[in-house]
Amino acid sequence: MPAYALEIIVFSLGLVLLLVDAFAKLEDKRSLAWLGMLGLVVVFGLLFKVEPRAADDANVFWRFYSDSRMSLFFKGIAILSTILVLAMAIDYRGLIEKFTAPAEKKAHPQAGLGEFFALPVFACAGLMCMASATNLVSIFVSLEAVTITFYVMVAYMRRNVGSLEAGVKYLILGALSTGFLVYGFAWLYGITGSMDLAEIGAALKSGDVSPTAALFAFSLILVALGFKVGAVPFQMWIPDVYQGAPTPITAFLSVGSKAAGFIVLLRLSAVFLGSEAVAGQVAMAFAVVAGLTLIVGNLTAIPQSNFKRLLAYSSIAHAGFLLTALAAAPRKLEAGQLSSATVVAFYLGAYLLMTLLAFLVVGLVRVHRDSEEIEAYRGLGKSSPFLALALLIAMASLAGVPLTAGFFGKFFVFQLAIQGGHWWLVTLAAIGAGAGFYYYLKVVAAMYWDDPTGAAAKAAAIPVSALTRAAVVTLIVLIVIAGFAPRMILGLIG
Amino acid sequence: MTFLFYIFAALAIVGGIGVVLNRNPVSSAFAMIVSFLGLAALYIQLDAYLVGTLQILVYAGAIMVLFLFIIMLLDIKSEEGRQFGVFSTAGAVVVAGGMLLIVAKVLKNFEAGEKALTPLKGAAAETTDVSAIGELLFTTYWFPVQVIGMLLLVATVGVVVLSKRELR
Repeated sequence: MPAYALEIIVFSLGLVLLLVDAFAKLEDKRSLAWLGMLGLVVVFGLLFKVEPRAADDANVFWRFYSDSRMSLFFKGIAILSTILVLAMAIDYRGLIEKFTAPAEKKAHPQAGLGEFFALPVFACAGLMCMASATNLVSIFVSLEAVTITFYVMVAYMRRNVGSLEAGVKYLILGALSTGFLVYGFAWLYGITGSMDLAEIGAALKSGDVSPTAALFAFSLILVALGFKVGAVPFQMWIPDVYQGAPTPITAFLSVGSKAAGFIVLLRLSAVFLGSEAVAGQVAMAFAVVAGLTLIVGNLTAIPQSNFKRLLAYSSIAHAGFLLTALAAAPRKLEAGQLSSATVVAFYLGAYLLMTLLAFLVVGLVRVHRDSEEIEAYRGLGKSSPFLALALLIAMASLAGVPLTAGFFGKFFVFQLAIQGGHWWLVTLAAIGAGAGFYYYLKVVAAMYWDDPTGAAAKAAAIPVSALTRAAVVTLIVLIVIAGFAPRMILGLIG
Repeated sequence: MTFLFYIFAALAIVGGIGVVLNRNPVSSAFAMIVSFLGLAALYIQLDAYLVGTLQILVYAGAIMVLFLFIIMLLDIKSEEGRQFGVFSTAGAVVVAGGMLLIVAKVLKNFEAGEKALTPLKGAAAETTDVSAIGELLFTTYWFPVQVIGMLLLVATVGVVVLSKRELR
């Protein structure tokens, strides 16, 4: 089966969900989420059955699409995160119902829930297209398909002021960044005469292109993608949007949208870094943005008292580490050295596991304790030991404690930066990682040490459904496996 | 022809400034139409007849009508009385001025005026003839067109979900 069949299946799955929701009068719309997850699990399995493009396959389609190992890995990330987001959405449905149709709750208790389960599936199809995009046109349309789906999902709790505010902020800044992206693409097309990344790379390499114009195109694209991945100084929207959006969508945003931004950034930076004339300045620009992101993301996370906001700043901080890997991209790969694309892919894989695990717990606590403040996690170690353990592992991995996936993610980044001799970036990353230990473990301290015998500890345990339990256990196992044997994951990237 | 270029470019810029400076949203919208007309003329000067026509039909026509509808439904009075703080005005001026400086500097260092740009791929007919463009969209570019189809579907679903008074 060719790789593009997967996108077709996922898109059709989304259509089926919409149609079933519209025509079958379902008693309980949760079955839609189950159907979605089941379909995505099948697609995830099919990922391992993909056959490479046949040598005689001359369809023009392949100008826009690549089925490399790396694209398949990123498709895996997209599918896995969508499955987990749907699992989270099932637990979170009470809040969605409360804010989509409160006045008519009696007549249509689950109004609007069907679309909430269908939209992530469409976003997943868009993310999968983007993972394979090798042409400015296909990059742009799939990026927009994903972003527009996210606008809708962020503002989904439409009778909640926070969600609406988040939606408007995300829409306006997203549209602005799209403007920068199109302007950058237009320059790139204008100076090279091609939309194809390989041809653009060849044109830039040949030296016929004015370096000033190429650098201008690059900086416009960097501004646009800086917005998407949350790099400083384009990170202002992240805390408000992450806090206001429904928690499952925040998780999706921080994993899916970030992964999407980095695939595009990886592909485009490879094009620019391949040209002698501009490579130095491009790497420098990445280094400056990475340094700023590391410092601002990590240091502003320290005083946060709202856990969802803390995770938003943590997402900025992780973007800093990922950008460090791009800035330190080796010009010539030596034997046994990891390329920066591999490092970024591994980091994103690890980031997916630990962030989704953290958000699973955040969503449950929000539903049952009605709060997202760190204070609400007091005594969780006593009242819900299973969730506390899950959060402990997520936090340890996010901080980069050895034997977790997060440790090797950071380790590879440091390795790359040291090999490249970027000492000041290494210093900033070390400061950032140190600050990370403080603010991630603050949550752990709240769960286990703050007032372990008080009223909070005696609160009723948070009920965990079998599905959530399975998701949590799977994530913990994967984090630990990636922490013990990172080579297994690296083998998948190829 | 250069003479005409300057006239239409000035028209587009004046329209753009009008959008920003006008206090009344309806006047802003009309200034935007002026700006679009200037742009459309520039496209036609560049032999991009289809793009120019679409600019007038779709942007100046359909989209601006929609804009005016929405402005009509909103409360215009509150917008007219709104004052911007010194800080936000200064910030906007600095950002816009900085961007202008950068673009000017790039254009100064860029040999576009003296050297012919790389010719675009494909025959001239492919970029001017409507039927040729249509054929390209559904042959070479079928994949992006399909993705746009998905985008529109999602946008439609989103609009219904977010704006319908009573969800079922």
